[in-house]
Amino acid sequence: MNEDKIIVKTAEDREKLFIALYKSVFPAVAKYVSKMGGTFDEARDIFQDALVIWYEKAASDGFVLHSDEKAYLFGISKNLWLKKHKHNTHYIPLDGFDAESEETAQASDNKILSFLQTTGKKCMDLLRSFYYDELPLNDIAETFGFSGVRSATVQKYKCLEKVRETVKEKSLTYEDFLA
Amino acid sequence: MRTSLLETEQIESHLLRRAEPGDGLVFEARLLLDPELKDRVLWQQKTYNIIRQYGLDQLKQEIESVHQKLFNEARHYSFRQKIIRLFSKK
Repeated sequence: MNEDKIIVKTAEDREKLFIALYKSVFPAVAKYVSKMGGTFDEARDIFQDALVIWYEKAASDGFVLHSDEKAYLFGISKNLWLKKHKHNTHYIPLDGFDAESEETAQASDNKILSFLQTTGKKCMDLLRSFYYDELPLNDIAETFGFSGVRSATVQKYKCLEKVRETVKEKSLTYEDFLA
Repeated sequence: MRTSLLETEQIESHLLRRAEPGDGLVFEARLLLDPELKDRVLWQQKTYNIIRQYGLDQLKQEIESVHQKLFNEARHYSFRQKIIRLFSKK
């Protein structure tokens, strides 16, 4: 099997990747959804969720891609469609699930996120590269303009500490407020 | 690195289970004795969850913006037509 490493260091790289995947796989997904009686909006929602799942898996594998990636992405889309369909016909009640406190926690997290987006975007973008995109240290150092791996690592922990303090402070405030 | 950063690094090793066996035991012993450290561990775990949510939100926005480009920009006309045709027969 052929293996290829794709480059996804920056937002521009990701845009190119998603455009390529959209062009090569979305037509097949749209065709499938249309055949199953679905709408354009459903095809879009399913394909976008599939791209997220695909991306997270690729990130944890270090973006080493196999030759059957397109079939894999199509397979995820198809499974999501089938799952959605099954859930629509058999409604599963949220038994024993504390929906209210879950909602409060979610509302508090959303407030923290929007606070961090406006005041700590630089740190959040750096932390995203480390923990969500799981990019190699030297790529992160280069993209964010650090002199090397060592200073990128130090900055990562500085950011982590700063965000941790914000999360703590804001969680306590918002939970009091929302309770 | 300053002491607090080293501790943040140790908390990370503990949470992501990357600590060497010996270091891990020492850290767990400190956790039992130091409630403030335990507190920082809990908040750091929550911070990783928030970072994950941030990454996911950003990625979804990036994908949606690609969708908008493909379905609005003139240069992607033929791709767009190919998709729209699939849904216009009904």
